[in-house]
Amino acid sequence: MSGYRATPATNAREAAEWSTRRVFANNLRAIVGRAYPRIIGLTREPSWIFFEILLPFLAVSAFVFVYRALEAPEEYIGFVVLGGAVTAFWLNVVWMMAAQFYWEKDQGNLELYFTAPMHLMSILAGMAIGGLVMTSSRALAVIGIGSLLFGVTYDVREPFLLAAVFLLTMIPLYGLGMLFASLFLLWGREAFHLAQLLQEPIYFLGGVNFPLRALGAVSGFVAAVLPLAVGLDAMRQLAFSGAETNGLLPVGTEMLILGAMAVVFLVGARYALAYLEHLARREGRLTLRWQ
Amino acid sequence: MAVTERAAQPPVRGMTLTDAYRSFRTAIGLGWAIESNWSDPFLFAIYTLAKPLAAAMILVLMFQVVTGGTNTDFLQFLIVGSALWNVVFGVLAGLVQSILEDRERYRMMKYVVVTPTSLFPFLLGRSLARVIISFVAVGLTLAVGVFFLGVELRPDPLLLVPAMIIGLLAVLSLGIFMAGWCLQLRQEAWSYPEAIAGALYLVSGAIFPIDVLPGFLQPIAYVLPTTWWLEGSRRGLLGHGSPGQLGQIPDGTVMLLLVVTTAVAIPVSLVAFAWFMKRARQSGLLDMVTGS
Repeated sequence: MSGYRATPATNAREAAEWSTRRVFANNLRAIVGRAYPRIIGLTREPSWIFFEILLPFLAVSAFVFVYRALEAPEEYIGFVVLGGAVTAFWLNVVWMMAAQFYWEKDQGNLELYFTAPMHLMSILAGMAIGGLVMTSSRALAVIGIGSLLFGVTYDVREPFLLAAVFLLTMIPLYGLGMLFASLFLLWGREAFHLAQLLQEPIYFLGGVNFPLRALGAVSGFVAAVLPLAVGLDAMRQLAFSGAETNGLLPVGTEMLILGAMAVVFLVGARYALAYLEHLARREGRLTLRWQ
Repeated sequence: MAVTERAAQPPVRGMTLTDAYRSFRTAIGLGWAIESNWSDPFLFAIYTLAKPLAAAMILVLMFQVVTGGTNTDFLQFLIVGSALWNVVFGVLAGLVQSILEDRERYRMMKYVVVTPTSLFPFLLGRSLARVIISFVAVGLTLAVGVFFLGVELRPDPLLLVPAMIIGLLAVLSLGIFMAGWCLQLRQEAWSYPEAIAGALYLVSGAIFPIDVLPGFLQPIAYVLPTTWWLEGSRRGLLGHGSPGQLGQIPDGTVMLLLVVTTAVAIPVSLVAFAWFMKRARQSGLLDMVTGS
């Protein structure tokens, strides 16, 4: 039974005038509603867990064996395992945030979103929260299995700081996903290719399998635009002994960069959505399938 | 009366080679249009080529970070393996995603199946675009290796050409098997090509010698045609084999094992595909939408 209580309005003006509390409650309901299928899907579709753990784990294993063949120092194995876990979040951002509005359009849900009395940011926030919870289980599994199988040792001296860096990484990461969601929809049929483009090239630029500073001069540019790269670099410095020497910037500086990215991407997402909504209402074309 | 009229008509002929060719040719055009997605050719080229190049560059950076650029034999091994793997992923993803897209996204599968032609030539043509793109990626990755990373190619056509042809047949047979298998699945069918390609990547010695694998996985590597295809192609391109045990095996034995494993894989995949199709018809799976 729904917990929603509707109060019949006596006229159209009264129906259109919502109190701040009602607007807030309605958007909160939208966030919960959009997060719900992603979280509940964890238990109802266990096959998802298998694939979401298996796929990153296969890639992690291949890169671990490359390092073993090269007789690399053991902390590099840990770098790959941690990189594999963060990759799960990036895949979630690309396929289930950035490309999501495009799929929703194909399924016919997008026009319902536009016409429903809620802010589209609530839908995106719900997707992000649901995706974050869903992917966290997979990332933890990759770290757990990878660490056990490959004998990774961690040296976490500041666990709360590490947790703070992780959370601070997720905000701009999902903010970027929110921004991309609008842009992917605007770019139409290129969405699939864009999602493909945001995988291996980003793993390369993000230093997912090697220290970020190995990219040389490019790493400075990457640190300014890619939360995945900065967050991963900071987490590695906090999780492995001696990794500070491989870090691109001090952890404090990287946290400041992540904070700035969070603001820029969330505000950018807000403006991109407003533009998208404007286009959708003016042209009526954005909600058409196959466009 | 109706029976008399039907008897008077010429008998319905079966599918001819001309029908199959026409279906194959049309499917190539369709596959290319869908694959390129009516996009700008320049953007399409970037999308297509950035992924394999970045995959190769990840390995190059890993190599550089650890070795500082020494042991160039291993770098050549990495570049060639990474380049050739594009074919495996292209074929598996091409065949499986073609069949799934036609069933679930465009919902044309049942119409293709009820036409006089067979699904098989249509499927091959439909996925050909991805296979061709994967070969472009192979060429580009090797070119970057040669011109920017010091990879020295010493092609031996007598080894390379048969290894590539037989290897491609082996990979196609894997793709055909996978396409039939994915028709049976309700959930996560889209993820199977990536999962299987990822598993093969791990055990075929694509980017590291199979000696590094745990002992229980090494026998699997030795019975896979992809292992022998990679080894034969590496020898055909570089003039020498992989580091480790595999590199000690004579060229003739490598080619013989490639032929034998491919000769097993092809009939198994064709029989399996026919069985999968029969089951899909009987169980109503041809127009199933899984929502995955």
